[in-house]
Amino acid sequence: MSQSLRPYLQCVRSSLTAALSLSNFASQASERHNVPEIEAASSPEVLLNPLTVSRNENEKVLIEPSINSVRISIKIKQADEIEHILVHKFTRFLTQRAEAFFILRRKPVKGYDISFLITNFHTEEMLKHKLVDFIIQFMEEVDKEISEMKLFLNARARFVAESFLTPFD
Amino acid sequence: MASLNWRTINIDALDPDSPANFDLSSLTPAIAPVSTADVQALASQIRQLLRGGDSEGALQGALENPPYGADDKGKDIHLATVIEILQSIRQSDMSPMLSRIYSSPGGPEALDVLMKYIYKGMSQTSASSTTRNIAPQATGFSQIHSRGGGEGGGQAMSVLLSWHEKLVEIAGPGSIIRVMTDRRTV
Repeated sequence: MSQSLRPYLQCVRSSLTAALSLSNFASQASERHNVPEIEAASSPEVLLNPLTVSRNENEKVLIEPSINSVRISIKIKQADEIEHILVHKFTRFLTQRAEAFFILRRKPVKGYDISFLITNFHTEEMLKHKLVDFIIQFMEEVDKEISEMKLFLNARARFVAESFLTPFD
Repeated sequence: MASLNWRTINIDALDPDSPANFDLSSLTPAIAPVSTADVQALASQIRQLLRGGDSEGALQGALENPPYGADDKGKDIHLATVIEILQSIRQSDMSPMLSRIYSSPGGPEALDVLMKYIYKGMSQTSASSTTRNIAPQATGFSQIHSRGGGEGGGQAMSVLLSWHEKLVEIAGPGSIIRVMTDRRTV
């Protein structure tokens, strides 16, 4: 792991650990409803101050905590247009399968590439430190994945161009 | 009369008793308003300390008087002051200095304020340049060093990140909780 990535992930880890203290909270607006307050935003007193952790202007994490839900939005590093397209395709692939991922939000928050929504029901069902580990691991893997895909894409493009241009040689 | 679509009216917003209209000011203790000039005066005082080489005194002075009652401009000035102090302190001095502040009277509160400024500092610089255009990929041997691009603001962030790490070690995760729950924002 590179030298500047470690403190970044460590900071995200401790912020997430602190933010994931959730309790059950029924909706105050309508009876027998139980909605993630961070999404409904119907009672301002249960929304807490959002935290931003950033490594540089292209890589940051927004953590929006509330009493019964936390929304985590990740901005993935995109150095050039190819990476921009790859990140878009990759996150789209994941969000279309959001049903199977439990904590994945179907649509990212504006300005970010992918969002997770963790509610108190998730923290009751799953282990909290494993949830944090999952997010951290995702952030580690996604960078690796994107650079790998980019290398592969470039190699493939070179090969295609070479074989296309052989007859004109 | 029929021009208004009544289905889209948020009736909760019109009901004074609804939770949507909760009075948030009842959650904050009374804060005396601070004028921008006062913040500026404090900032120059702190700079004086910093120039004199007393970075610990400067940090303590900045953290003991957070301008909760100031407007956005005053808060930005104080944020710039705090970040300047943080950047002037060497990495090896961080932990001992934080433990000294923590054990002094009123120390844990001062470190909570520091945590607020670290988070604010991280959200600040990134917000300024969100509309940056992504550079088109350079051709040729781009694979070798293309991942290094776009590290703008990375230096200031890494200072804040290492402060954050040291601070969590000393003040514990509770200080992060207090940043989230405290309605007095810096």
